[in-house]
This record gives sequence, C-alpha cells and structure tokens, in this order.
Amino acid sequence: MAKVKCTHCNLIFDESAMIIEKINNETCHFCCHGCQGVYHLLRSEGLDTFYDKLGATTLTPPANTLQDDLEKFDLDGFRNKYVKIRPDDTNEINLIIEGIHCSACVWLNEKVLHKTDGIIEATINYTNNKAKVIWDNEVINLSQIIQTIRSIGYDAFPYDPALQEERATKTRRDYYARILVAVFGMMNIMWIAVAQYAGYFSGIEQKFKDILNVAEFVLATPVLFYSGWVFFRGAYFGYRNRIINMDTLVATGATLAYIYSIYSMISKHGEVYFDSVVMIITFVLVGKYLEVLSKKHAVDTLDALTSTIPTEVMIVHNGVKSLVAVENIAIGDIIEIKAGEKIVIDGIVTEGAGSFNESSLTGESVPVHKQNGDIILSGSICLDSVVQYKATKDASNSLLHSIVTLLEESVTKKPKIEQLANSISGYFSAIILTIAIATFVGWYLHDGNFEKALIISISVIVIACPCALGLATPMATLVGIGVSAKRGILFKEASFLETMAKSTVIAIDKTGTITEGKPSVVNAIIHKEFDHNLLYSLVASSNHPISKGIKEYLEERNDNLKELKLKEIQTLQAKGTIAKYNTHSLAGGNKVLMKELGIITTLSSKHSLYFFAIDGMLIASFELSDKLRDGAKEAIAKLKSMNLEISMLTGDHALSANSIAKEAGIDDIHDSLLPQDKASLIDTFHDKGDIVIMVGDGINDSIALAKADIAIAMGSGADIAISVSDVVLLDEKPQKITEAYRISKRTYQAIKENLGFSILYNAIAVPLAVMGFVYPLVAALSMSLSSLIVVGNSIRIKRIKFDKGDKNE
Amino acid sequence: MSSNIMILMLGVSTFLGAVALMALLWGLKTGQFDDQSKFIDGARYDNEEELRDAVMMEKKKKAQKEKKEKERNYKPVD
Repeated sequence: MAKVKCTHCNLIFDESAMIIEKINNETCHFCCHGCQGVYHLLRSEGLDTFYDKLGATTLTPPANTLQDDLEKFDLDGFRNKYVKIRPDDTNEINLIIEGIHCSACVWLNEKVLHKTDGIIEATINYTNNKAKVIWDNEVINLSQIIQTIRSIGYDAFPYDPALQEERATKTRRDYYARILVAVFGMMNIMWIAVAQYAGYFSGIEQKFKDILNVAEFVLATPVLFYSGWVFFRGAYFGYRNRIINMDTLVATGATLAYIYSIYSMISKHGEVYFDSVVMIITFVLVGKYLEVLSKKHAVDTLDALTSTIPTEVMIVHNGVKSLVAVENIAIGDIIEIKAGEKIVIDGIVTEGAGSFNESSLTGESVPVHKQNGDIILSGSICLDSVVQYKATKDASNSLLHSIVTLLEESVTKKPKIEQLANSISGYFSAIILTIAIATFVGWYLHDGNFEKALIISISVIVIACPCALGLATPMATLVGIGVSAKRGILFKEASFLETMAKSTVIAIDKTGTITEGKPSVVNAIIHKEFDHNLLYSLVASSNHPISKGIKEYLEERNDNLKELKLKEIQTLQAKGTIAKYNTHSLAGGNKVLMKELGIITTLSSKHSLYFFAIDGMLIASFELSDKLRDGAKEAIAKLKSMNLEISMLTGDHALSANSIAKEAGIDDIHDSLLPQDKASLIDTFHDKGDIVIMVGDGINDSIALAKADIAIAMGSGADIAISVSDVVLLDEKPQKITEAYRISKRTYQAIKENLGFSILYNAIAVPLAVMGFVYPLVAALSMSLSSLIVVGNSIRIKRIKFDKGDKNE
Repeated sequence: MSSNIMILMLGVSTFLGAVALMALLWGLKTGQFDDQSKFIDGARYDNEEELRDAVMMEKKKKAQKEKKEKERNYKPVD
C-alpha cells in the first residue's frame, strides 16, 4: 500500500487510512480531522505560507481537545494567580506553549495571536517555548486566547514567572552586560599596554607615557566599578558573615592595584598596573557567568514541571460531580481520577482499582496495582481505570506540592557556598592581607612616612595577588574539567572538582544508577519448542516493562522476528495479555493469569515471573529481574579502596534492595525511601560533618541531589535531575563515577601543588616587597615566570592514566 | 609624532568603540538577544508581510493607548 505524507503534519501513513480531499485541483491527504481542520483554518486566514516555512519538519497532530476546561481560565482564582494587570489596564500572562517543533511553529503562533483582535503583544521564545501575551480584557478574554492557540493544533499552559524565571533572566542579562564592558575595556587596554611595555624596554618619553596612562585609567575605571561590582558585593556579604572569600581578595587586590596605579600616574613615578586590574576582573567574572547560566537552565525545567500539575480536580459530593480548584479541597472529600490523570492530592482508595505509575516518586517503572484501602500518593499517574479516593491531606501538604516547594528552595540556595569560602584560597588571602597591613604599620612606625608605607604595602598585594592566586586554582580546575569532558563527565562548575575531592560519603540511588532500571530476563525455561514470532507479537502489543524485557530478550537471540497479525488482543490489568492467532489462543502473563486459565505452574522465584501458553499448554517460563549494570561491582570496590563511605538509597522494598546491594558489595542500605526521606538522609550525613556526593537519575532523587554537596546525574535521567545536579555522566557506566572522583582528586592535588609553589614564590617575592625593593622589572619578570610554572604544572593533569577496562571506545 | 595626535587617535577610537558598546548594551537591555534561535531565524521571516504585521501591531498598541487616554480624559457632563 502506498504511504503518503499528511498535508498538515507531514507524518507518513497508509493512503487507505487517510482522509482525501480535493482543494483547488490539488489532492490533499489528512491523517485525522484535526489536521484537516487546522489546514482549512490556516488557508482561510491566508496563513498557508506556514507550510513553505515548515519544510519537512513533522508536527504532532492536533489532539481532540477537551473544551470543558476552558472556563477555568476565566475564573477569579486563576486570574489572581497567573494574570498580571499592567499599569495601562491591559492584562499580561506567561504561557508555556506545547507542540512547538520548529521556528515555523513559533511564527504561526505569533501570527495568529497578532491577528486576533484585542491582543496587543505576543512574543514567543523559541528556546524554551515560553510566551508572553498582553491583551485587552474588554475585547477578548483569556479562554478565547487559549481557544485560538488550541484551534491551530497547539496547547498552552500558564506558569508563574515571578516564581524564579524573571529573576534568573535578569541576573543573566546583568552579568552579560558587565562582561561586555569588561571585555571591551580589557581588549583596549591590552593594545595600549603593548605600547607601554615596548616603551619600557626601548625607552619612552614621559609625556607619551602619561597619555597612555590616562587612556588606560579611563578604560579601567568602568571595568573596575561596573563589571567588578559583583566582587565588591560578594566581599561585603563575606565581611558581614565574617568570611574572607575569593571575592574579598579579587576586590581588594584590584582596588589597591587601581589606587597604586592612579598614584604612579599622578606622581609620574613607577609603572601603572591598570592592565592587571582589568584582567583579574574579566577572567573571574566570566567564570561566575557560567555559573549563572546553569542556574537559569534549572529554573526552566522547574517551570515545566510545575505547569503539568493540574489546578483542578473532579470531586464527588452526594453523587454530584463537580470541578473544584485544588486549593479548595478539604480533607475527606471524595475525588475521582480518570485514566491518564496526574494525582495532586494524597488519599486512600474508596472505590475501584487500577494501576498507578509511581516512577516519579520511587524510580520503579513497574506499575503498582491499587485497590480499596490502598494509599495513593500525589505525583503518581493513574494508568487505566476510573478510581475514587478520599483525600487525606490538602493540596499544600500533599507530597507533590512539597517536592516542588523543596526543589524551588534548594535550587536557589545550595549549601556549597559556605564551603567554598573555607577553601585554601580563603586562608591565603587572609594571610596576604595581614602581611600587607603589618607592612604598612611597620613602615609607618619605622619611617613615619605615610605615603611611602602605603605604597609599599600595596605593592605587597599587587605582587602576591594576580599571578600566584589568580591562576593557581582556576588553571588546574580548567584542565581538570577539560580532561573529564573528554571522558564524558561534565562538571558544571570548576569549584565542584575541589569539593568532590574533599568528599567523604557517596550516596547512590539503586534503580537506574547501579542497576539498569528495567527488568531483563535472567533465566528462561523452554518447555516445548515454539514459533518465537508468536511470543514476540504478543509482548510487542504491550507497553508493560516486563513485556519489554521479554521483547528485548527475544530480539537479542533471533535475527528476523516478524510481528504477526494477532486478533482479539486483550490486556488484563496486573495479569498479562491474551490474544488469538488463527485458531490458536495465546496467553502470556504472571501466575495469576495462568491459574485463571487452569494451567499449573510450579516455578517460584523471588524475581518477577512471566509464563507463555498456547492453547492452554505451558510453553515457556521466564524469570526477570533488574540487573546490575556492567562494571558496577568493580566501580564500587574501587570507590571503597579510595576511602569513600558508600550508601545505597532506594525507594524499592528491602528484599530486592538487599539482593542488589549484596551483589554490588554495598553494606550500608537504606530502603523504602520516599523522595524527602532521601533528602533528610543527606542532611543526617551533613550533621555528622560529612561532605556528600549523591548519584541519581530520577525526579525522586532530585531533592536529595539538590541537597548534596556534589550531585551526579546520569545523562539519560529526568531533566529535573540533570538540572539540579553538578556533574552529568554522559554514558551511564558506573566506572565513570570512579573516574570523576579520580580526576577531582588529581586536580585537587595539582591545586595544592600550584598553591604550594605560589606560596614559595610569595615567600621570596613578598619579603622583598615588604622591605621595599620592588623594582618594576623584577616584578614583571617574576610575575610571568610564576604564571608559566603554574600553567605547566596544571597541564600535567592531562597525563592521568585510566585503567584499560575504563577506556572510552 | 606630537602628543596631540596621539591624544586624538586614542580619544576618537575609544569613543567610537564606546558608542558601539552602548549600542550593544541597549540591544541587550531591550531583550534583543534573549532568544538566540529566533534571532538567527529572523532573516528567514523578513519580508513585506512581516513588515505589515509589525505595522498592524504598532497600530493596535496606539489604538489601545488612545482608548485609555480617552477614558482618562472623559469628563461627565454635569
């Protein structure tokens, strides 16, 4: 049969299954009435150039949208929550548009909104699919706007930008502006400095030197005070909390070098150091900017998570069903949930039974069957039937809500900031500052000359600060990050290498991290030879993880499997699948199903079991369990040998947790944990004074990840887990955890060496400066020499050797 | 080379550079770099039709402003 493209969405279907329509001597094919409707609408609006812009990109066919939730957009509660009234009485809302695939989609949505009367502004951001719409409420109301977006095959959800996004975007923009100014100043000062240096060595008239000095001064001033503002602020906060941090050093170093330079500019005596002022500020600022960028990304994914939470639920009161806002649900209300809906309120099932996907809470992908009296937790998704349950908590106390609030809190305040202040550079800057002050006091008492004492003490800081410290840590971490990136390990921030090297405890999630996270066949018993295609077709019809495991097993062993046309396929909840092929009846499922069909099974195991029967006769039995990832055992053993304490955290029950832990060689096991339990466990580690690494992959790990000092996420994990984490492992081998730890240890060692050398350099240079012997030539030479040595030592990190087994092929 | 020439050269070039920097900062402040993908695609959707569209939106904004103006200046006859 011929396959053709749908004229609207570009997806390919069999011609026989499509709606064919002749429009202006052109034959159009539509895969559904939704696509057809949108196509006609666009044509009649004169927007059919959309299809030229779209090219070969495929779209999602418009869903049959539920029209009945439209009125909620005009409810007062909803308006208060999301709609902002602007000073000129127009309304503003922020929406996340769903279904955007390419820039043509953005174009179409903007175009349609622009054409709608009453909409005054509509801009859509293609990068994160967020839209800002401003409209006049007297002409059009929000539900009509949402209706317009839906009519062209997209959907829109409101979100609250005041939450975090606005703040994050603002800081990012702010940093960017500061960097632009800094880079501009640095580039220009550099070429003036070339003239200065050339003049220094080959002789220069004082009047030319003065001009160059003034030009450098003009360029350096905005850089120090505008771009460097963040360091002054950081130093001020540090001062208020009685901490001397990197900001303090950068701020004092740069300011004093600046003052010293102004002095030599005016007194026409000595050299100016405006170029070092600008360079310090620029380089450290760029590093800070990268930090801000990753925070912005985290906020984007957080908004996407909150926007999927329903704002209203169906409650049943005396047999009457009504939609009620989530905030108004009281404890004891009976809530009805349909297939595919997300639970927002915790409760106990009162009527009906069904399967629930709790993967976002426990990490387990196998659905859980719930019936009368069972507890339902918010965040899980109802998979099949209609279930009624009694609310046992209100919205703000329900699990899902608390996860979201906890995440918001932890994204904005990470515990690391304090620890960073304790790092070596902190101590070092304190020492240098003390020496400088002592020098000033000493010279002043000795000579009684205020000016001379000040200049000498400033020269102490100038000679110590820029090269020794400015480069020692960043250079080593930069090389460390480069090495790890080559091995598929992404560190989001340079300082994490240092923190990771200092950590003492590593907490690992079970499912998906040290195990593969899906059941696979560990034992297969074939009672009688059979056509594998039959079983293959049967399991292919189901999406259940067990069926998928069997399917994968068959695919591994057979080359050319064919899907046969089965009839009367029936999925029996929590039992299995039955179907007919020609005259044979097929059945595949668990013990319960076999018992119902009158088939006797003798096999019993602690793992999940799957039986396959043809015409009431048992043909094959399979044992499935979640397998340990390759190399997990070795990786754990290695981590142990590096003196790390290892804990396993899992939402799974004790039995399977214990068997996996035993296999992997982990002794400290914490099972049956809910997301917030994992997080509080991290807190207990903190209380004991440990620095904690957490490795995880799912939404259920995200709070714990955010709380840990170093969070490692698997590259294929949930978006939210990746965005709150500090380190991402692109390929999911457990060895990568060991590698990351080794690289961080090696980098930390290099940092210590660099600092050791800098201290040695300072031990020679600083006393000379203290005694007042800083000749410019000596200063210039020793500065560049010390930088070269620091750079060279850092590059040695690249020579770190990995075991052959860990090779990245 | 006289020092005046040098002052002139440094001054003019720094001033021109600063003007360009200001323009860039203005662009940043008005959100023109917020969406890289759209920024790049901008050239693809730049024709007469887009211009008309932009004019239409400007008119809408103006109309809205005028409407508010009218409401504010409305004085009931007494």
